[in-house]
Amino acid sequence: MSDTLRFVSNELQLMALSFMAIVYIIRIRWLLKYKASRDRQAPSERRDTSSLKGIIYSWANIAMPWSMESTRRMFFFYLQFVVFHLAVAANITLSFVIPYAPGLMKPIIVVRMLQILFAAACAIGCYRMYRRLNNPAMRLISTPDDLFSLGLLTVWSFASIFAAPNRPDLGEGPLMVYFIMTAFFLVYVPFSKISHYLYYPFTRFYFGRTLGYRGVYPVKHVVQPKPTRT
Amino acid sequence: MIPNARSHKAGKVVERMGKKLSRQLVGSLVGCVHCGMCTESCHYVLANPDDPTYAPAYKADQIRKIFKRNYDWTGKIFPWWVHAEDLRTDEDLEKLKDIVFGKCTNCRRCSLNCPMGVDFALLNRMARGLLVSVGVMPEGVAVVSKDQWEVGNQMGVLPQEYIETLEWLSDELEDEFKDPAARIPIDKMDANIVYAINPREVKYDPRTISDAARIFYLAGENWTMPSEGWDMTNFGLFSGDDELGGAVALRVYDKVRELRGQTLVLSECGHGYRSTRCEGPNWSGKEVPFVIESSVLTMLRYIREGRIRVDRAKNKESYTFHDSCNNARSCGFFEEPRELLDLVVTDFREMYPNRAENYCCTGGGGAMSMSEYTPQRLKSAIIKADQLKATGTKSVVTSCHNCVDGLTDVIRHYKLGMKVTQLVNLTANALVIPERVFVPVEVLIPAVSLPLQGFKILVVDDEPDILIFLAAVLEDQGATVIQAADGEQALALTIQEKPDLVTLDLSMPGKNGGYVFEEIRNNPEIASTKVCIITGKPELRRLIYERPVAPPDGYLDKPVNEETLLTNIRMILELRQPVGHA
Repeated sequence: MSDTLRFVSNELQLMALSFMAIVYIIRIRWLLKYKASRDRQAPSERRDTSSLKGIIYSWANIAMPWSMESTRRMFFFYLQFVVFHLAVAANITLSFVIPYAPGLMKPIIVVRMLQILFAAACAIGCYRMYRRLNNPAMRLISTPDDLFSLGLLTVWSFASIFAAPNRPDLGEGPLMVYFIMTAFFLVYVPFSKISHYLYYPFTRFYFGRTLGYRGVYPVKHVVQPKPTRT
Repeated sequence: MIPNARSHKAGKVVERMGKKLSRQLVGSLVGCVHCGMCTESCHYVLANPDDPTYAPAYKADQIRKIFKRNYDWTGKIFPWWVHAEDLRTDEDLEKLKDIVFGKCTNCRRCSLNCPMGVDFALLNRMARGLLVSVGVMPEGVAVVSKDQWEVGNQMGVLPQEYIETLEWLSDELEDEFKDPAARIPIDKMDANIVYAINPREVKYDPRTISDAARIFYLAGENWTMPSEGWDMTNFGLFSGDDELGGAVALRVYDKVRELRGQTLVLSECGHGYRSTRCEGPNWSGKEVPFVIESSVLTMLRYIREGRIRVDRAKNKESYTFHDSCNNARSCGFFEEPRELLDLVVTDFREMYPNRAENYCCTGGGGAMSMSEYTPQRLKSAIIKADQLKATGTKSVVTSCHNCVDGLTDVIRHYKLGMKVTQLVNLTANALVIPERVFVPVEVLIPAVSLPLQGFKILVVDDEPDILIFLAAVLEDQGATVIQAADGEQALALTIQEKPDLVTLDLSMPGKNGGYVFEEIRNNPEIASTKVCIITGKPELRRLIYERPVAPPDGYLDKPVNEETLLTNIRMILELRQPVGHA
């Protein structure tokens, strides 16, 4: 491994990561400086729920596609979301595994599974880009940041396919591209829509707290019975 | 903040936005990822698939872009990158008004379907409040807010009118049960229940008050209605004006405290329930020391405790239930109405989707008072119409007065041929009157006596269909009806025929209704003629009430149904019993 690759896979990553952490701390402090409003009214007459249940339900919402009409109706879209986000998580993990625990990437099955996941994420990213540009409502709400962030993650997933085998002996190009992109990703994320995961715990916490207290959460979904044959 | 080149009002909106921001609001402003999952949850989108500007995320972005430009770092530094944009002119404010008032009913359905937990309804209400704070709002919102600030209720019901209605209803109740104790108590101290209502009940639907009174009487309840602070509705919820919201809620709470009531029971009204029970303590910043509950829960308890008996066979039609957005999606109040419905009707059929996932009646968020947006409201109502039609029922039950009006409009517009009713009506109809109360009395019914016999009524409207409708309804009740299609004719006929009552449309070609009304009041010969305004433009109401003459004797919003018309005509003509006038 060349010194350059060692630098981009280690020091550069740590610098980018530190930068991201600092910006995130500032961002969270900024969010917390706003006062949270509270519910002064009596709790719901519904006895089977509470603020706490609402918060837990709200946080877990994302793992329960049956809980929202939107994810029930757009289940394929939800599956794309799951695969895409799993790939991003795997990709971030990969950026630590390669420099610090390369042994984990030895079994070929692990490499192949990751490559399949990254390829799937790349395909989903392409589809989602097409959707953003083709669907009038999506085109209208998409900002340059939305398009760039999606493009960045899609290209990053593509680069990961070639970085996953971790074979600098066959050429350092794929790993160089992958780590430089990862560093850029880490620096760019706090300023982009990708940082939504930072807000997710807050938005869902307050939404769940209120709706749990008021008895709306957990949502009771009553399935329409299918017409019986006569 | 970016301080350059803003109109005064735009500057104020931006400045006040900063003061309004809470952590929940900021979370919803920064949390959107523009995934589009909310899009198909909105009835406006579903009814207008070719117009992407109805997408909740797009509507929210019109608020978000102002926030980003002024309060968020990325928007301050790279505005074009995140679609941040400042609010500059009064035209910008008008555009924003048309979005937050005209393209959203704040039903919260998109909020519930957002994976990120972005509460768009919260953002929309904030934007409404900011616009209202600088006087930018639909005329109807201004009129209703003014009434609630000044008169104390959102329909401008005067204290005398309210008390007279309760007395009139008390007389009927006493007659029905032949019991002098069967009356509506007013301002009774230390009652178990203080009953607050929607002013619509006084104005258009007093039957719901008398039905509730019958239930309280038969349950042997120690109850009362307050002489003031009786309006449990709250336009602050719709206008986004927290100050109005807090003031209205406090007016109700203070009266209950003054009467030392134990429980504040709210008649069936979705936004009233949410405002008084849920949001009022937050807006007023004070916790409430007594219990607040919906009358649905009270009725359910009476049946369960055996305090009243009901026979559901008395309600034999097929019924479905529409969930009010404020009840179901903002207060989790959706099972109790169904439990009660199961006890008072024989054929209940669920509507799909339902409970917190039900669609808005399309008249929510104050939409009924914003006539300038009626065409788009009714177009979006196709979703509700299809939902209603799919139930195959004859009647839709709802626990909300606003939904009663919204659904009535939908049903009429899409010719569904359904009726709208409330649980209090069904429960009262299903009541089994105990023997001890029933005293058979021989009643002499006049052989030929129609309620409006002997009355001469002039109906004035430039729409022929409405003239025909009004004339037919009033003639069926025995009135002698004269018709006028414009202001000049109306004035001439009033002088010539001296009718007992004039029903007057406001918007007419030539001399409009406002002019005719003032002329009538200023002419000593006909000044005492009773006048009932019937208009489809509530924003014109101000023109009538601000005239330097005595106010009209009645006021009705179009569309008006037969029952509402006759109830109000009877009240105006001070008819307690359907007897002749001769």
